Amino acid sequence: MKQLRVVVTGIGVVTPIGTGRERFWTNLLEGRSGIGPVRSFDTSTYSVHRGAEVHDFEVENYLSNLDAAHLGRASQFAIAAARLALADANVEIASLDLERAGVSMGTTSGEPREVERFDDLFVSKKLERVGPEFLALYPSHVIAAHIARELRFAGINIMIPTACAAGNYAIAHAFDVLRAGRADLMLAGGSDSFSRITYTGFAQLGAIAPEVCQPFDRYRKGMIPGEGAGVIVLEPLSAARHRGARIYAEISGYGLSCDAHHMTAAQPTGDGAMRAMKQALEQSGTNPEDVNYISAHGTGTATNDRLETLAVKKLFGEAAYRIPMSSIKSMLGHTMGAASAIEAAACSLAVYHGRIPPTINLVEPDPECDLDYVPNYAREQTVRVAMNNAYAFGGNNASLILKKYDSLN
Amino acid sequence: MRNRVVITGVGVVSSLGDTPGCLQFSLCAGRRAVKPVELFSTAGLGCPLGGEIPSFDAQKYLGRRNLRPLDRTSRLVASAAQLALDDSGWSESMRKDEEVGLVLGTMFCSVHTISEFDRRALEAGPRYASPMDFSNTVINAAAGQTAILHNLRGINSTISTGITSGLQAIAYATEVIRSGRARAVLAGGADEMCFESFYGFDRAGMLCRSNESAGDFPIPFDKRRNGFALGEGAALLMLEDAHFARDRGARTLAEITGHGCGYDCSQGEDEESSVNAIALSVRHALNDAFTEPHEIDCLSASANGSYAGDRHEAKGIFAGLNGQTRKLPVTAIKSMLGETLGASGPLQAIALLETMRDGVLPGINGLEQVDDDFAFDMISPDNTQLDLEAALINSVGFDGHCCSLVMAKV
Repeated sequence: MKQLRVVVTGIGVVTPIGTGRERFWTNLLEGRSGIGPVRSFDTSTYSVHRGAEVHDFEVENYLSNLDAAHLGRASQFAIAAARLALADANVEIASLDLERAGVSMGTTSGEPREVERFDDLFVSKKLERVGPEFLALYPSHVIAAHIARELRFAGINIMIPTACAAGNYAIAHAFDVLRAGRADLMLAGGSDSFSRITYTGFAQLGAIAPEVCQPFDRYRKGMIPGEGAGVIVLEPLSAARHRGARIYAEISGYGLSCDAHHMTAAQPTGDGAMRAMKQALEQSGTNPEDVNYISAHGTGTATNDRLETLAVKKLFGEAAYRIPMSSIKSMLGHTMGAASAIEAAACSLAVYHGRIPPTINLVEPDPECDLDYVPNYAREQTVRVAMNNAYAFGGNNASLILKKYDSLN
Repeated sequence: MRNRVVITGVGVVSSLGDTPGCLQFSLCAGRRAVKPVELFSTAGLGCPLGGEIPSFDAQKYLGRRNLRPLDRTSRLVASAAQLALDDSGWSESMRKDEEVGLVLGTMFCSVHTISEFDRRALEAGPRYASPMDFSNTVINAAAGQTAILHNLRGINSTISTGITSGLQAIAYATEVIRSGRARAVLAGGADEMCFESFYGFDRAGMLCRSNESAGDFPIPFDKRRNGFALGEGAALLMLEDAHFARDRGARTLAEITGHGCGYDCSQGEDEESSVNAIALSVRHALNDAFTEPHEIDCLSASANGSYAGDRHEAKGIFAGLNGQTRKLPVTAIKSMLGETLGASGPLQAIALLETMRDGVLPGINGLEQVDDDFAFDMISPDNTQLDLEAALINSVGFDGHCCSLVMAKV
C-alpha cells in the first residue's frame, strides 16, 4: 500500500542563539555559542556556573488570546515557536479546519519553575501562598494545551514527556497521526525552560562542563544545560503541494527503542541506540550508505559521545567515516526536551539549503571519537538524507529520518 | 490493512484490589476506597479524602528485586507490569527473544520525587541533592525504571494528557501495533497519591467538600456532586497483534477496535465547546471501530463528581452517540476509586473486561438524584446485568483533553 507522505513546511525556534528560523540558522552556520553565566538563579553554591539561556525573548509578540501572566516559561517558548512555525509555513489559521489541526509536543520537565516556586514557599513555610495557579500552570500537558488554546486548535493534543529524546518522539507521533489520516496539519516539537532542578541534578551527576560544550573533543568536560523550544509544521505532501508551500524536507521514518539498562547511563554496547537507528532506516527504506548527515545527540559528556560514535560505527560500518556528524549542542547547550526538535529543525534546514552546521570547540580529536564531526566550520554539501539522533534518561532512544524533497519523485 | 489489536492480559494495583476479579468484586459490592488520607497530613486543606492503596508493598509483586531506586509511581507501575506480564504469559525468557514495549500514561509521574529533590537542594545545598533521585525527576522515569526491571526493550513512551493520559497511552500503543511497528506492548497508566499533587488539586478547588445530604464522597452525575476525590493506582493492559497472539497460543480477553480524541480549547469554561470536543472524541472512536451508536452495550464514564465536568460529559456522550443514550447502561467507577488520573482510563477498561466475563456492570455508588437534563435512564446505584459485546470507555480531563476507546469481545 502506498503510504501518505509527510513534509516539513514551517520552522519555529526559540533558542539560546536566537529566536526565529533565519537568526537561528545564520548563527548556527557561523558557529555562535549561546552559552554564558547563568542568570535564572544564583549559582554561587554550585561548582559550575554556566548555562545556555534564552535572553532575547518577548512573549507578548506572540500572544493574541492568552495572558503571559498565566503561562509558564516553557509554554511561552512553545507558543512563540508554534506561532513562528505557522508564519514560516505561511499558514493562515482561518484557513484551517481546526478540529483537524493538532499539537504533539515533548518535554523533559514540563514547567519546572512552577514546582520550584512551590518548593520555595514550602521551605520558607509560606505554602498557603500557593493558589490555584500551581495546578493550572505546572503539569507537563499544559505546554501542548496552551499552544492549542492560543491558536484554537481543536484536533489531537498530546504531550510526550520522554526527557531528552522527547522532541523526536513528538515529531514521530505527529508523523503517524498524519499518515493515519487523523489530522490535516500538526505542530510538533519540544519545549523546556531553564530549571534549577535540572541544573542541580546534572551538577550532582558531574555532567556539567565548567566553561564550554565541546562534543567529541578529547578534553570535553560535559554538557551545558539549556532552554528553548522548537516546533515544526507537518502536513501531508499533497496538501503542501496543493497550497504551494515551501517544503523544507520530508519525514520518511523513525525508530524508537529502549535500552532497559540504566536510568542515566547508556548501554555500553550502544545496542539500544543502534536498534533505533536501524529501525528508522528500515522504515524509511534507506540504505545506511545513503545517509549524508547525522545530527548527533552529542551532549559533550565523555560517555555519550564515545558510545554514540561506537553505535554509529557499528551500524554504518566503513560508511560511518564518510558521513558528517555534528552536534549543535556545542552552540546551543542541551535544551532538554526541546533539543531533538530544534535539531530536527536544523536537519530540515541542512537538507533544504545543502549546508551542514558545525560542532564548535572541537580542538583536539578524541582517539575514540574518530568520525567526521564537521569541526568548527559549517560545510556546504548536498544533504539528501539526514538522521536525527536523540537519547534520554530512562534509556529512551529515538532516531528520525529527514529527506530532501524532490518534486520529481 | 491494519493489524488487529487484542488484550492478552492485565495488571492492576488499585485501592480496591490487585486482581481484576477483586477490583470487580469491590466495585460491584459498592466498596468505597475514598477515605480520610493517611499517607500525609491534610490539616488545613479543604478536603481530607482520598483513595489510597492501603499498605502498598511492591515487594509483594516484585520479590527480592532491588527496589531502592524506584519511587512510589515507579513501584506501582513495575508491580502492575509484573502482574500483566504474568497474566499474559510473557515469561522472562520470551522477553529475551522478543522486544516488548511499554507506553505509560501519567499526569505527574512523581511530583513528590521532583519536589523533594529540589527541597533537599534548597535546604541542605545543591551538593546534598541525590543523583539517584534526580533520575526519577524526569516524567518518563516510571516507564524507564519498569523497562529496566522487566527487560522491556521495545518502544518505550510516556504520554501526559492529564486525566486522559492512560486511555491516550492505550490509543497510542494501539496505533503502534496496528502499523506493524511492534507486536506486543504494555499500555496503560499510573499516578501516585502524594501531598504535592493533592495540595494542588485542593487549592484549585476541584476536590469534593463535605456535603451533608450526600456525605463525604464524590457522586458522579448526582445533583449533589461538588468535586472529586483524588485516588491512585496503576493499570496496564498487554496489547498484542491479534495474529501474533493467536500464533503464540495466547488467551485473548478482548479487542481494542477503535479510539478517538478531541480537544476543548475553552478547557471546560464554555459548555458548548466542551460538549463538542467530547462528542467528537466519541464519534472518532466509533468511526475508527466501524461501530454504530446502537451497537454500544454500555458506557464507562470519566465522571468523577466534578460539577461542570460530569455535566459536559453527559451531554457530550449524548451528542456523540446521536442521542442514543436512554437505554445505555452507564457506570462511573470513580465514585468508588476516586480520580486516579493516569490510571483511571485503564482501570475503567480492566473493570469492563470483568463485566464482559461475568455480565455485571457495577452501579454508581451513592447515586440518588441524576441531573434532570442528563439523558441516561439506565444509570443507577445498583449493578446491572448485561451481555457485553462492545463497550465505550470515556475519559475527560479538566484541561480540555478528551479520549474515547471502543473495546469489543473477540
